[in-house]
Amino acid sequence: MLSIDGSHGEGGGQVLRTSLTLSLVTGKPFRIEKIRAGRKNPGLLRQHLTAVNAAQEISRAEVAGASLGSRELTFAPDKPLAGTYSFAVGTAGSATLVLQTVLPALILATGESAIALEGGTHNPFAPPFDFLAKTFLPLINRMGARVRAELERPGFYPAGGGRFTVRIEPATRLNRIDLVDRGKIVSRRARAIVANLPIKIAERELQVIRRKLSFNSEWLDVEEIRDSRGPGNVVMIEVESQQVCEVFTAFGERGVPAEKVANRAAQEARVYMAAEVAAGQHLADQLMIPMAMSGGGSFTTLPLSRHATTNIEIIKKFLDVEISVEQLDSRACRVDVKGARLA
Amino acid sequence: MTRKKTTAIGLLGSNLDAGQSAERWEKWRPSISLCSQENLLIDRFELLYQKKFFNLASVVASDIESVSPETDVRLTEIDFGDPWDFEEVYGAIHDFARAYRFKPDTEDYLIHITTGSHVAQICLFLLTESRHFPARLIQTSPPAGRRKTGPGSFEIIDLDLSRYDRIASRFRQEHREGSSFLKSGIETRNARFNALIDRIEQVAINSRDPLLLVGPTGAGKSQLARRVYELRRARHQIEGQFVEVNCATIRGDAAMSALFGHVKGSFTGAVKDRPGLLRTADKGVLFLDEIGELGSDEQAMLLRALEEKKFFPLGGDREASSDFQLIAGTNSDLASKVRTGRFREDLLARINLWTFRLPGLGERVEDIEPNLQYELDQFANRAGRRVTMSREAREKFLKFATSHEARWTGNFRDLNGAVTRMATLAQGGRISVEAVADEIIRLRSAWRHSRADEGEEMIERFISADRLRALDLFDRLQLGGVLKVCVESRTLSEAGRKLFSNSRDRKKTANDADRLRKYLARFGIEWQRVKE
Repeated sequence: MLSIDGSHGEGGGQVLRTSLTLSLVTGKPFRIEKIRAGRKNPGLLRQHLTAVNAAQEISRAEVAGASLGSRELTFAPDKPLAGTYSFAVGTAGSATLVLQTVLPALILATGESAIALEGGTHNPFAPPFDFLAKTFLPLINRMGARVRAELERPGFYPAGGGRFTVRIEPATRLNRIDLVDRGKIVSRRARAIVANLPIKIAERELQVIRRKLSFNSEWLDVEEIRDSRGPGNVVMIEVESQQVCEVFTAFGERGVPAEKVANRAAQEARVYMAAEVAAGQHLADQLMIPMAMSGGGSFTTLPLSRHATTNIEIIKKFLDVEISVEQLDSRACRVDVKGARLA
Repeated sequence: MTRKKTTAIGLLGSNLDAGQSAERWEKWRPSISLCSQENLLIDRFELLYQKKFFNLASVVASDIESVSPETDVRLTEIDFGDPWDFEEVYGAIHDFARAYRFKPDTEDYLIHITTGSHVAQICLFLLTESRHFPARLIQTSPPAGRRKTGPGSFEIIDLDLSRYDRIASRFRQEHREGSSFLKSGIETRNARFNALIDRIEQVAINSRDPLLLVGPTGAGKSQLARRVYELRRARHQIEGQFVEVNCATIRGDAAMSALFGHVKGSFTGAVKDRPGLLRTADKGVLFLDEIGELGSDEQAMLLRALEEKKFFPLGGDREASSDFQLIAGTNSDLASKVRTGRFREDLLARINLWTFRLPGLGERVEDIEPNLQYELDQFANRAGRRVTMSREAREKFLKFATSHEARWTGNFRDLNGAVTRMATLAQGGRISVEAVADEIIRLRSAWRHSRADEGEEMIERFISADRLRALDLFDRLQLGGVLKVCVESRTLSEAGRKLFSNSRDRKKTANDADRLRKYLARFGIEWQRVKE
């Protein structure tokens, strides 16, 4: 059985989720120890348990150690089954992270799946729903699957209560894609969303983006959400090039001026645009697993984050792949994935 | 293995949980916080609300559903008019607890004590402490730090204090101190005695019921009763006095009056009111030693005083009351006194709930050494000068003291007497081997004259030393007893009748006197000599 050191690298929930995903995809059981060791609340938290339970549900896995605060977990999956699933995340935890745990396995399952997810849809420290719908899923679809996601209601921290559905038509096998040259930028947009908060906040945020990124006024949209449970504010900047559409996000926080929030997103978008790479930091984390499953692929990206390097190490444990990282210059690198193709 | 479900029970916070507009999410709400913890999952939340706050309860329930889809929120209406009225609130929560079907085998229960009035929080605590709620307490706290965002934190408090290592070790220390206190700080080694003291300590600090101390004279009943009193007083469990009386020393009207008091003029000599020992012991401890010697009227009155805390003073027509803890001492078998009608059965039943049998010193030979040191220390305290024993002297004394020869018929009183004598006569503050040898002779002689040795004394009177040495212990015990009866009888026939009364009833033996004569002859004793 594969043994994973949960405190290694990123050392948080990411190690666990990536391990679950790869175990589902490869059928290999694993044991993870020192889960989130060294964190303030070590061991499994509720959002991690939801991911474990979701992975167990689609694969009828044998699981030991799945309890709050547990530092060790053993997971032995059966073959993942397509079907209709519903997962709800408490504490306004990210529902998109739960989807990402089970999605790769269902892309290769026999049969269509429909998943309803509830919880947070726009959370700090997690890809927002818009990243999923506009950045990640189009690339997955380009690899051969057909995955559509639909937002029914956004859920912001702390109230949660968001909901979206995902329909998956699987591929028999995934095709290689290469995202080395992103091509010309074809469109730019910025959206500021407010729920149960003064619209003025969104307007102030967009003014900052217009100024900092020299966006035209027509590229800016204020969106007011009325059916959200709690308050919420998010700024998203979309940069669509010929090969990929990237989304950069920042979240309004109590006590943080709107200008400062907008600046964070603008700064990220500016770095990405200047580096002339295809994938931003978050997309780089997400791309490696499907590329490893498809037998290969390549992309250019910003310097790799801790999340990404941790992912590489865990992927190599589960799959016989080579992942090489070539530093192109101080702000860009190129990742090449070579390995066996899963079907 | 399936996980135990966690059920929380809490009151809706009409103030802390309040808020209907979207801004409510900006503030910390305890009931929401309880269900928003990353490392705590509430499977079911029994949220108790007052009717007038139904709308708020609904908002809170639906907000919990949003932040914690895993939680099943159940709203239960609970009615107390005034949330600051202790009786009303306690009654309402008590009713809820009694009606609730707890399943402790499959569910863990947490009582949320952050919401509700302080009175309600006290009621929740009390009902949890009394195990009406088989639960642990949970307290939520608002987020700390500069930013003040997030669900805050929680603390689970288990009222089973033995689960906390540091608290448990405090209790062990306190218990050790309590036991050591009851033993007057003497490091006793007898395992049975130590177990007995541990049990007495446990009962003494947990119960106000009567204690019955059974044991031979000098076993330390009186001293132990006083130590129990002092232990309880040190723990603030009683505030009254320690009152001690030996029932064998008071008889008749004097006994009634001494115990229950009298009013002026109730009998000749009653020139003024006397409160009596029971009233003096109010809120304290009354130690009645030799309780078997109490007269029947006093027994009846004492029983009533125990059961109703009320009694009539002699000659009084108004009841007096006293709330005391009774410790009774006896060296006789009260059950046999009940059988012969000399002690009330109902009184015995009332006082023997906790019966402790104190062993005599002879049954605790391993404790003689520590008690020897204790007595020497006590002597130093009394006399104001320290007396020591040479090593040889100590060894010689202990060798004798722990041998079968040492009878310790007066128990600790004997030891105390021996040490007092040796210490008083010690030359230059040191007890020598010679002094110990003298004391051993004294003790031997004292015990020979004690009742247990009467038979032995008899034999020595009637048969020669040579013959005595040849006798088995078996014969000595029997012969000693027979001779005692003979000495107390006027004629050989009377002695024969006493000694063979049972077989005589069955008409097995024709001539008792003849049988006795033949028995005495075997030891070379003639009746004539017995009666000389």
